[in-house]
Amino acid sequence: MDRELYNPHLRTKKTTAGIMGDVCLALVPAGIGAVVFFGIQALLLITVSVCTCILAEALWQILHHKTVTIRDYSAIVTGILIAFNVSSTTPIWVIILADIFAIIVVKQIFGGIGSNVFNPALVGRLFIMLVYPAKMMSYVMPMDVDTVAGATVLSNIKHGGEAGFSLMDAFLGKIPGALGETSALLLLIGFAYLVIKKEVNVMVSLSFFATVLLLTVIAGQDPLYHLFSGGLILGGCFMLTDYNFASRKGNWILGVLAGAIVVVMRVLGSFPEGVCYAILIVNCMSVLLEQLKQKHIYGMEEGR
Amino acid sequence: MGKEQPKFFGGIHPTDGWDKALTADKKIISYVPESVRICMKQGLGPACTCVVKPGDRVEQGQIIGESAHFMSAAIHSSVTGTVVAADDQFCEIKTEACNLVDEAATYYKEWADVSAFTRDTVIEQLEKGGLVGMGGAGFPTHLKYETKDQITHVLINAAECEPFLSCDEHVMLEQGMAVLNGVQLLKKAAGAEQAVICMEDNKAHCKEYLEFLLKGHETGISIVLLPTRYPQGGEKQLIAATMGVEIPTGKLPSSVGAIVSNIQTAKAAADMVLGNRPLISRCITITGDVQEPGNYLVPLGTDIGELVRAAGDVKNPKNKVILGGPMTGRCIGEDLTAEQITKVTGESVSKVSGGLVVLAGTHTAESGCIRCGSCEDACPAGLTPFKIDAAMRKENISLCQTLNATECIGCGCCSYVCPSKRELTHTIVTARDTVRMKLREEATRG
Repeated sequence: MDRELYNPHLRTKKTTAGIMGDVCLALVPAGIGAVVFFGIQALLLITVSVCTCILAEALWQILHHKTVTIRDYSAIVTGILIAFNVSSTTPIWVIILADIFAIIVVKQIFGGIGSNVFNPALVGRLFIMLVYPAKMMSYVMPMDVDTVAGATVLSNIKHGGEAGFSLMDAFLGKIPGALGETSALLLLIGFAYLVIKKEVNVMVSLSFFATVLLLTVIAGQDPLYHLFSGGLILGGCFMLTDYNFASRKGNWILGVLAGAIVVVMRVLGSFPEGVCYAILIVNCMSVLLEQLKQKHIYGMEEGR
Repeated sequence: MGKEQPKFFGGIHPTDGWDKALTADKKIISYVPESVRICMKQGLGPACTCVVKPGDRVEQGQIIGESAHFMSAAIHSSVTGTVVAADDQFCEIKTEACNLVDEAATYYKEWADVSAFTRDTVIEQLEKGGLVGMGGAGFPTHLKYETKDQITHVLINAAECEPFLSCDEHVMLEQGMAVLNGVQLLKKAAGAEQAVICMEDNKAHCKEYLEFLLKGHETGISIVLLPTRYPQGGEKQLIAATMGVEIPTGKLPSSVGAIVSNIQTAKAAADMVLGNRPLISRCITITGDVQEPGNYLVPLGTDIGELVRAAGDVKNPKNKVILGGPMTGRCIGEDLTAEQITKVTGESVSKVSGGLVVLAGTHTAESGCIRCGSCEDACPAGLTPFKIDAAMRKENISLCQTLNATECIGCGCCSYVCPSKRELTHTIVTARDTVRMKLREEATRG
């Protein structure tokens, strides 16, 4: 039978492209912020990253005789997120490598949208961090891109010193860091849009932030610096909440786990950062969580 | 206030009410066609055998189709006239006379005294009248009421949760007393203490009207309003919402002391027992993209295309024609005008047709599942549709079984909410039926 004849004959107006398009829109404020803070180089990186992702996805699908799905905007989201996760000094060819790795190896080989085991953008970033660590670690001052920043807020805290920047600077984004992660304010504006449109599982983000706040207080560090610096807001709002892993009910527990891992890594580990790893670890755990979940099925005794 | 409104879990709000507004203020129109074409398969059981032949003269209410199978109810002629054609599938009768409503009958106007009837006599009349569940399932009513379980509640399903349809609502408003008398009889047939008429809260005016009619009678009939939420009228959901219990899996409603019958079934029961009229007519909503949407009281066998023509034909030739409600109904064709509906589909009104909806043509391609979990939240059976869908597409039947595909009620909520427009309902219903067949085979093999 022709599938157009299958019931139900009414369908919601919501589409995958609509959701991904909204995520793109939600990332626009932080994108503009990135260009303001880091200049034309930021715009170049974002544009190249988005174009590479779209091209990589289209080419792969054409070569494998699959339906080309670039119109669902998910490749664009990956492109933006990869650019947001690198420093403005990153060479163009390095980000192109990250894009190709993310789209081909992390997303398409596993079967495309929804079938990937990890967040593509994060693995793409991790890939270039491991292969070209030197090119990734140099940050510049926002609004003053010729000044190489000695250290980020987190590395300052890590080495027992003062943060070096005021809390307000960290909130607004006037701190060194990756393109899209410096301004908590702009990220939260975008996130609010997704929350209003009910396109994100806000419980995952909230449990993540709450856990980080609580545990950093227990660790005797300033929780707000931890919240507003590094990739915490970007990761918590836009990457931890990836539909694939976190959109379903009960998955707030993933936020708690990720938060705990971040704090353990930041406070006890040898890296100043931890969000990227934390999210990838809980990506794996989401599979386990799915197994553990007990759902009530109509008419069935619990525990059957 | 304070008291929590009863509810079931899952479910959706497919529309905001504009769909039902199309036919809200339209009175039921009686329509008698020049000829009727009665299908020999009505409801769940196998097709009946036609017992009349071309040239025969039949009276309205005369038996024209019979079956020895216990699941097939008898079929009666809906008009008085001459048989034009008769075969295994259809019996076509040219109309000479047809009386759709017995205006003089007192049970339409007054509270009937049913004390003279016993449980058995009522059930016998229901069987004779060929009554089946008119909500869509078509299960023979007398079989349902013959249960040996102790029944405490007869739930009269007037939820009408399907978008667009309003025929049940209008039957309550325009034939309220007949409905209530039918409810009395069904309560008797079940041997129950209580009958509860259940409707969604978008029909509060119906509740008010029926309560007005009930005033002063010691009845055991109550009316409850339930949240407007699809599939409120699903048998399992209705029981969960009104009685606060779930039917154990694999069991019938009678296992929790309930029987559910549609409101038009109740009205037809009154016709049968009090008016001595078998099931030969019903009310159907013709709506959607037609010039004059409305509710029609028609003899069984009325041509669907002819009804669409009576409703002013389709507005747009680019359409989908749905027999039943838009959520669970069957698409009988695409891009059809009224005339083509007659020619191409040949469908006619049956005992279970609640509506004919013409929808503007829409079609979006399926895309990959993004595992958003919307289907999981919407599923009123508590299943995880996207996982069953994935398992079924890999033909992993035992995984479908582990995921309880057998519990699917086929309501369509998962497909409705899916942003990737996947045909979840289709795959899961297929999975359900495949697993059930496998279980049956295993059982017979021992």
